[in-house]
Amino acid sequence: MRGAIFKIEKDFDKEIRNFLKKTIVKKFFGAILIPCKVPANDSYAYLLIRDEALIEKASILPPVMPIQGGRVLKSFTRLGKIDAKVAVIMRPCEIRASIELSKLEQVDLTNVTLISVDCPGVIPLSDYLEDPVKGTDTFKEAFKTWESDSVRELCKVCYNFTLTGSDLHIGILGSEQGNLFLIPVSEKGRNLLDFFNINYENDISSWENIVKKKEDERKIKRKEFRENLRQEIEGIDNLLKTFSDCLNCHNCMRVCPICYCRQCFFDSDALNLPSTNYIKRAENRGSIKFPPETLLFHLGRMSHMITSCVSCGSCEDACPVSLPISRVFSFVAENVQNLFNYVPGMSVKDPVPTITYEEEELKEFENPYIETYNIQRM
Amino acid sequence: MNDSFKPKIIYFLCSWCGTGGSETASAFGLHYPENVLPFRVNCTGSLSTVYILRAFLEGADGVVISGCHPGDCHYNNGNFRARRRVAIIKSILDTLGLEPERIWFRYVAHGEGKRFVDTAAEFNDYIKKLGPNPLKTRRDI
Repeated sequence: MRGAIFKIEKDFDKEIRNFLKKTIVKKFFGAILIPCKVPANDSYAYLLIRDEALIEKASILPPVMPIQGGRVLKSFTRLGKIDAKVAVIMRPCEIRASIELSKLEQVDLTNVTLISVDCPGVIPLSDYLEDPVKGTDTFKEAFKTWESDSVRELCKVCYNFTLTGSDLHIGILGSEQGNLFLIPVSEKGRNLLDFFNINYENDISSWENIVKKKEDERKIKRKEFRENLRQEIEGIDNLLKTFSDCLNCHNCMRVCPICYCRQCFFDSDALNLPSTNYIKRAENRGSIKFPPETLLFHLGRMSHMITSCVSCGSCEDACPVSLPISRVFSFVAENVQNLFNYVPGMSVKDPVPTITYEEEELKEFENPYIETYNIQRM
Repeated sequence: MNDSFKPKIIYFLCSWCGTGGSETASAFGLHYPENVLPFRVNCTGSLSTVYILRAFLEGADGVVISGCHPGDCHYNNGNFRARRRVAIIKSILDTLGLEPERIWFRYVAHGEGKRFVDTAAEFNDYIKKLGPNPLKTRRDI
């Protein structure tokens, strides 16, 4: 792989901000969508910036992910393409969600240049909100070591923390040695670097080696995590125990970037049933729990969006009772996506498994007919 | 085999081939177990995974889905999509340890009355061997 190498003095953040500023000043981009600290100083939000002076306030890698970038881009471009060229700086999982949404026709990427950054993970939102100053420090620590215990459970075992389906990738892994890597992936990314006469034919194997090493470490960790989680949730008893605290608030659905339906089945009148229905069901099994259908909600939502789940962990951040939703979803998603050899958000070209098919596949899920069955039976 | 256990089985049939199969069965006077409840959907491709799940959580012991043979779908590709959905839901249930073998997917054409009846009987016997669905009696669902 080839890329551009930047020499940086101390702060990669500042360097990238200066570069972005130039893109606005030279009118390469009309606007930049980037996370910024809110004025109250206790959280982050995405800001669409047109005034280059405001880029100073932006934060390339915020310590938390209060809102998933895919969702932001969806609310921005849902009605069609943007007139101006816009750069979007996001974490890899947010980029992947945006790409999934573009395949599901919720995001228009025509004039959007996706810029991803190596991500050490994020701090759980509740931990950060308790003490933002401390949270920022813990994140700095996590950024240095790249394997901190203070990041989210799912971030600890994420191995898609780097280059995914973006147009331009900013490699900051190993930036302590004073190097920053700009890796163009698509035509849009190369155009951007060409415009600024940046040579991107340098050898970036030093970055690639670190990434490979971290990836392998994470894969081993992930295996361990899967085994532990399997023991924790497998079987009816364990599963019901896991989801027993669910309040049925549907927050996980509302923050999920992939859950784009304007009317969710589980909010619809299909589940607003007359009281006689509940009485009948209570009669069938002795009693019925209220709020009803919590397990149906989780499993149903899972079956609807699991092929596109990018394991971003937003659902777990939003859960008021801290259920391990994102871990369960990520665990199941890996199995289901392997079935279709599909990794969500890696490329705009491979279609989402649920909207396509092949004629010769998945024979193991069909039950072949045994012609003589009834004769044998008699 | 436990003869006192009468499983509750939901048989999802597409309105073109599966239902046609059941009509052919009736024309030939073929019988299938009474505890198999046929449920007509427009196309197996229109059957959301939620309905399969709901059937399970509300006490069905097994679910069979029958649509047109590959290439015969009235809507060209509904049965291929259905196969993907069945694969997704079975894979989810398998991962969570929730007995995916209680779902069957088998093609039945309009003229195949015997095949429809045989499938119903075979699945009924199979579920009888498996025993009742443990989710049926759970009160904390």
